Parts: sequence; C-alpha cells; structure tokens
Amino acid sequence: MSTKTSKQAVSLSRRRALQTLSAAAALPVLGGFAPSVLSATQSIGRVVVVGGGFGGATAAKYLKIANPAIDVTLVEPALRFYTCPFSNLFLGGLRTFDSISHGYDELRDRYGVVVLHAMASEVDSEHHRVTLNDGTVLDYDRLILSPGIDIRWDGIEGYDEEAAEEVPHAWKAGAQTELLKSQIESMDDGGVFMLTAPANPFRCPPGPYERVSMVAHYLKQHKPRSKVIILDAKDSFSKQGLFQEGWQAVYGDMIEWVSLSNDGKVIRVDAANREVETEFGEIHRPDVLNVVPPQKAGWIAVRAGVTDASGWVPVKPDTFESQLVKDIYVVGDATIAGPMPKSGFCASAQAKVAAAAIAASFEGRESPDPYWINTCYSLISPDYGISVAGVYRVQDGEIISVPDSGGVSPTGAPASVRAREAEYAVGWYRAICQDTWGSA
Amino acid sequence: MNRLRFVFSTALLVIAVQAHASETYDDAQMAVMAGSCANCHGTDGKMAGAVPPLAGRSQAAMEAQLLSFKHDENTQATVMNRIAKGFSDEELSALAAHYAAINPN
Repeated sequence: MSTKTSKQAVSLSRRRALQTLSAAAALPVLGGFAPSVLSATQSIGRVVVVGGGFGGATAAKYLKIANPAIDVTLVEPALRFYTCPFSNLFLGGLRTFDSISHGYDELRDRYGVVVLHAMASEVDSEHHRVTLNDGTVLDYDRLILSPGIDIRWDGIEGYDEEAAEEVPHAWKAGAQTELLKSQIESMDDGGVFMLTAPANPFRCPPGPYERVSMVAHYLKQHKPRSKVIILDAKDSFSKQGLFQEGWQAVYGDMIEWVSLSNDGKVIRVDAANREVETEFGEIHRPDVLNVVPPQKAGWIAVRAGVTDASGWVPVKPDTFESQLVKDIYVVGDATIAGPMPKSGFCASAQAKVAAAAIAASFEGRESPDPYWINTCYSLISPDYGISVAGVYRVQDGEIISVPDSGGVSPTGAPASVRAREAEYAVGWYRAICQDTWGSA
Repeated sequence: MNRLRFVFSTALLVIAVQAHASETYDDAQMAVMAGSCANCHGTDGKMAGAVPPLAGRSQAAMEAQLLSFKHDENTQATVMNRIAKGFSDEELSALAAHYAAINPN
C-alpha cells in the first residue's frame, strides 16, 4: 500500500501506537497468551473499503473490531457524509442540514482505520489493486465496495445531469437536497409540489412517501393552500396502507397519489419548463418538481466488473462476496439482496456480515452464520411515526425473510403508538449514526 | 516454574471461558448475531435514549422481555415483537447473555 501523504503516515503511526497500547493493556489479563496478542501489531491482511456511507464506514469499523491486526483503508471523497435517512426531515424543517452530516474522526482516531479522502477510479481485480483519482495505488487482499446508487440518466427522456440542476432528484443527500429545499421555500402558497416515484428496485422504498409527508408538513404550516401530488410508476408501495391512513389523518386531502394504473408513470421531463409527460400523454406543470429517477449500482461497481445485466450486483448470500469477482465484497444499495430492501440499516447489517466473513478468512476460520435485521422508520409528521421491520437468514443458498417475523406497524393504532414510533425513529437515527461514524 | 505457568494459564482459561456469553455460539458468531441490534441500541448496545440500552442489563430480565415480545405478551411493544419472532428461543437467550456480559461504561 503506498503511503504518500503525510496525513496518511500520521494515521498509520497513530494506528500502530493504538494497537501497541491495546496489546499492552491486554498483557496483564492474558499473560499466557501474550505472544499471540503481540502479533496483533503485524498485519494479517489488507482490506480496502470504497465508500464511507452506512455500508462502507460500518465495514471498516467492524473489521477493526473483529481483529485490529487487519489493515483497513477507507476511501471516501467527502470530508463529511450527508445521510439520505433524515434528509426528508431537513426538507420538512425538522432538522438542520449539519445535523445529518457525519465525519470520519472516530474511524481514524479510535479504530485505526486509514481514511483517504479521494475517489476510487479503477479496480484491477486480477492484481488486487485500486487506483484513486489522486494517483494513489492501493493493494488489497480483500476489497469491499459500498458504492450506493447512481442515477440512470437514460432512464427518463430529458432527465439528465443538467436537468437535475433545475429539477432536483435529491436522492443522494447533499447539494441536491439543499436545492430542493430552496425551491420548496420559494414556492407560493397554493402551489403544487410534485414528486415522481420510480418502479422497483430503488434506494429506500418508503423514501418517496416519507418525503411527500415531510413536504406536506412544511406546507401545512407555511403554505396551507398548497397541494402535493405523487406520480408513481407502481401500483403499490412500501407501508402503503399506513402512509395513506396517516396522510388522511394529518393532512386531509393535501396529498394525492397517482398510481401506475391511473397514468402515474412519467416518460419525459422538460426541465426548462418544469413539465412532465406521463405514459398516456398527460402533461403536468407543477411549481416544484422532484424527479426520483430509476437507479443502478454506483459507478465503481461497474469498473470492478461486479454488476450484471440488471445494473445491480449479485452477491453470495452467506458473505456478500461478489458472485462474479473473487475477493471483492459488495454491500448496501448496490447489491441484489432481496428480500432485504435497499436501506441504510440493511447496508450496515450486510457490512457486519461481510466484515466477519473477511476476518474469518484471514484467521483461517469458517465464516459465522449470517444474521440480518432491517428496521425502517418513516415520519408522517413530527409525532406520527410508522415502521417496517424484517429478519433475514440464509436458507438453501437464498436470503429469506424468517417466516412469521417482521412486518409493518398496525393500521388503526392509537396516536400514542404513532408518537412512540416517531420517538424511536429519532432514537434509531442517533444509534445507527453512532454505530457507523461515532457521531449521533 | 512450568507447573506454575500451567496453573496460571489454566486459571486464565477458566476466566476466558466464563467471559463467553454463550456455550452454543462462539464470540464471532455472537458478534454477527448481535450485529444488527447496534443499529437501534448503539455499538455494543450502549446507547441511552428513547431506545433503551442493552449493555450490562440483567440477563434473566432481558431474556424474559425478549420472549414476551416474541409471544406478543408485551403490550408496550412496537417493533421488537416483530423482530423477536425472527429468532429461536435459544438465540434470544444467547443474545440476552451476550448483552448482559458487556460492561455498560
């Protein structure tokens, strides 16, 4: 592994110092095993992790927890990571933008991960090598990709990168999210906010419906004569009954959902005129237009050769190693992991399984049996939360949802239950961000 | 000297074995089984807030609570009833032992 920058050299020496410290601290307790503990200062394997979101940052941390003698380098261009979860709460005025951003100090300083703020630009799987856009070359024994999603810019006629500067997708949190918020804030009372939702599969299945809920929350307070419309390329969606029950209860008729069967599928976007055309030729001209476009695995997955014809990444269920390229593990939204949804929670759960499998392979052990959970909270209003949960295992070589487990919150539940789930939603966000980046 | 060393090592081994939370599952297996719990309860189940911490709580109380979630006997449950149903009684027992053994500080 090349260590060109002085920053990295500092991190390396700090990590070694930490390892020596922890080895020394262990000595009085494990005197009889001192030689094996001391050998922890020698690397037992090199792992490069690409992507510092819920999947990648968690994988880096849990590799170090599993065995501090694994050399872990995390490659992430952003100094601070803005989470998609709770970006809808920013749009609704419930959170500041800063409060959904997280840094890498804990991974670097406490866990001894080498964090490089650069973009991975090439993967040479034959020679086990990753090249970064600053010219750094990293050798790996195992590579973990957690690249998230890329937009399919050819998915809807007229919706390309330039169009997204006028008509945001805001499906990767950051500048796009701020752009959408400023457009919502500039809209006149009585205006129409329109969101177009894609067909499955896509990042965060309940996300579009939580987003319109949070936009409606903002509009109800500040521009109560406004209208919210969803044009959907599907006839059903995640937590549908709960969302529709909540919308009626909290927002009355403010939110209208147009299904695929009711001509909800968008086939063309004219960004300059803020105009969309549906399958059967209807033209809509809302005041704010938010296109959630079709998606695919993040770009570096394609470069690494791990995607299939679907644009997503097939993985071995037990370990999340690529089915196509040896020693490359892929976690998170980029993977084909159904019935697990593309959620931050699942990315984290998958990362822990992959980290454990890699640590076991370095130590010559069998991988532990995988266990995964998912819990996705959505807020309909600040004190109205709903959830979906799942528990997943591997059976006969397939990921399955454990029979009779999981499911959604009950419909018709009292307000106290909705309020409690809204509190738990905030608790969940604090906990998963602490677990991933160390900052709640 | 060798004998003394043997006795010392054996004593350490006994301590090490007692530190294992579960007899059925090894540490690496427990880390994976418990991995997702951290997503709501924080790393090692230490996060306090709306969602309660798990580290260092009574093993018997946690096991009883997990079983009550699983069998829909806990009227306060929101999501844990749906999650507990995805685990065997033995797994729930091992998870309770795992978190009870973690120092909460």
